[in-house]
Amino acid sequence: MVLLTVRLPPGATLADALARLELAEEDVDTAFGLVPIDPGTGLYAVRVAEEASHRAANTAGGPFSDPPIAPHGSQDPHDRHAPPSG
Amino acid sequence: MRVLIQLRPAPDVVAAVIEPGVRATAADVAGRLPGVVLDQAFAPVAVPRPVPASAYGDPLSLNQRVEFSYAPQDAAVLVRGEIADDELSTRSVLLPSARRDVAGVFADPVIHSTPTCGGDGPVGHWQDVARLLGAPEMTVEGHDGSGVTLAIVDSGINAAHVQAHLGREVIIDTERSWSPPGVGGTPGEYPVAHGTMCAFDALIAAPRATLLDIPVLLSPHNVAGLLSDAVAAYAHLRTVLEAMPAGSRSLVISNSWGLFSPGQDFPPGHPGNYSDNLAHPFNLIVASLDQAGADIVFSAGNCGRECPDRRCGFPDRPITGANSHPRVLSVGGVDTGLERVGYSSQGPGRLSDRKPDICAYTHFAGSEANGPGTPDTGTSAACPVAAGAVAAIRTRHPATEISPAQLRTLLHRTAEDRSTLGFDHDYGYGVINPPAVLESLGRHTRHAA
Repeated sequence: MVLLTVRLPPGATLADALARLELAEEDVDTAFGLVPIDPGTGLYAVRVAEEASHRAANTAGGPFSDPPIAPHGSQDPHDRHAPPSG
Repeated sequence: MRVLIQLRPAPDVVAAVIEPGVRATAADVAGRLPGVVLDQAFAPVAVPRPVPASAYGDPLSLNQRVEFSYAPQDAAVLVRGEIADDELSTRSVLLPSARRDVAGVFADPVIHSTPTCGGDGPVGHWQDVARLLGAPEMTVEGHDGSGVTLAIVDSGINAAHVQAHLGREVIIDTERSWSPPGVGGTPGEYPVAHGTMCAFDALIAAPRATLLDIPVLLSPHNVAGLLSDAVAAYAHLRTVLEAMPAGSRSLVISNSWGLFSPGQDFPPGHPGNYSDNLAHPFNLIVASLDQAGADIVFSAGNCGRECPDRRCGFPDRPITGANSHPRVLSVGGVDTGLERVGYSSQGPGRLSDRKPDICAYTHFAGSEANGPGTPDTGTSAACPVAAGAVAAIRTRHPATEISPAQLRTLLHRTAEDRSTLGFDHDYGYGVINPPAVLESLGRHTRHAA
């Protein structure tokens, strides 16, 4: 999945975003929902299937990557190039 | 540039250099070398001549069995000096032709001890870190994190473990803590892991800070976490910040995580890329939260040239994305001897050249979250150590008095410089020095009064 941004008025809901982007509920990660990025400028984000992001290309910003993130350390202790254990 | 100059002076001079009871000086050996400032403090050193072991050997080859002769008619002598950088190449070539006793001019590079790496044992103890940060004195003066909210955006906190190892009560605000959809559990009651180490390390300088437990790295998506989990976490933290009274806003956010491989991102130059793109939604929300008054602290990463984490996938400039954001404090790692640890990522950063900003302590015996006897390691530990120091400073200096950007500038200015040049891409501006920040803020307040 990828992230899209959309500009909406204050207090907007996921339904408002779907209407603006002309997407269906099954196209988006409803658990992620509509997340305010910068409320001052009315910028919000939604997480959508990559295929659906192409359909919303004219009304949305993005698509933006949603890469995995990992701690700067792990539990692997033993060689000098092992990840620091923290 | 500093150089070593190899000379073949008269045999009696060489004999004087070799003779233990005689003190020969650089001037005795070299006289005056044009364009070279001799280092008179460096005692001349005799260097043996390699001589072929066989009578039929090649006198110019080292790829054969050789013996080394210290006989005065064979040995050479090294002296140390400096040649101006812009004359180095010409003087290095011309010196041997101008002076027949000059055999060669060689580089004299700075050498370092082997840095601390991932598999090494602890260097110092967390109480050493507290002392180096000036934490006992700061606590006495009331800079202990009281009333400051410190969010640990990581893998969840086990408060009982932190409490047992720190030997004092840990304050976790469960109401204002947050977890991604699908992540169960109770704030402060997660299994002991990376996030517990981060919480412990943050409390070294700010023992009375109020922790928020934000376990974004416990993603239900079958990986450590997704950047979108962090986007949602930051949206929550914005509501936390805005709910605080404007006059006493103090929210510090500690982030010991990042993106390891470009293969998991859109490529640099793609408009949806994260690593190199300030317009990515996460980088936008970071900027917006900084603007609203939050102090955002990120680990620089563990991709230092000497011993990088084997997961590091960026061929260069490994401080990427928000870890290199101009509006965050990007933190590299030093051990308690103030030496940079070999895994601490070096700049320049991808979103901002001048990264890391500063260094803080890591690789010390602390939380034992990774098992008994294991150190708190990585820039993962350095980041919360710095975040805790920022929280201690914020105790009496909320964001309305000094903005996050102003505080970053003060942290830069007061850091203990570890190079001769000011900012560098290994240590940033130097090692964090919270008492110097407080001293500077105190001066400012006295002037304003």
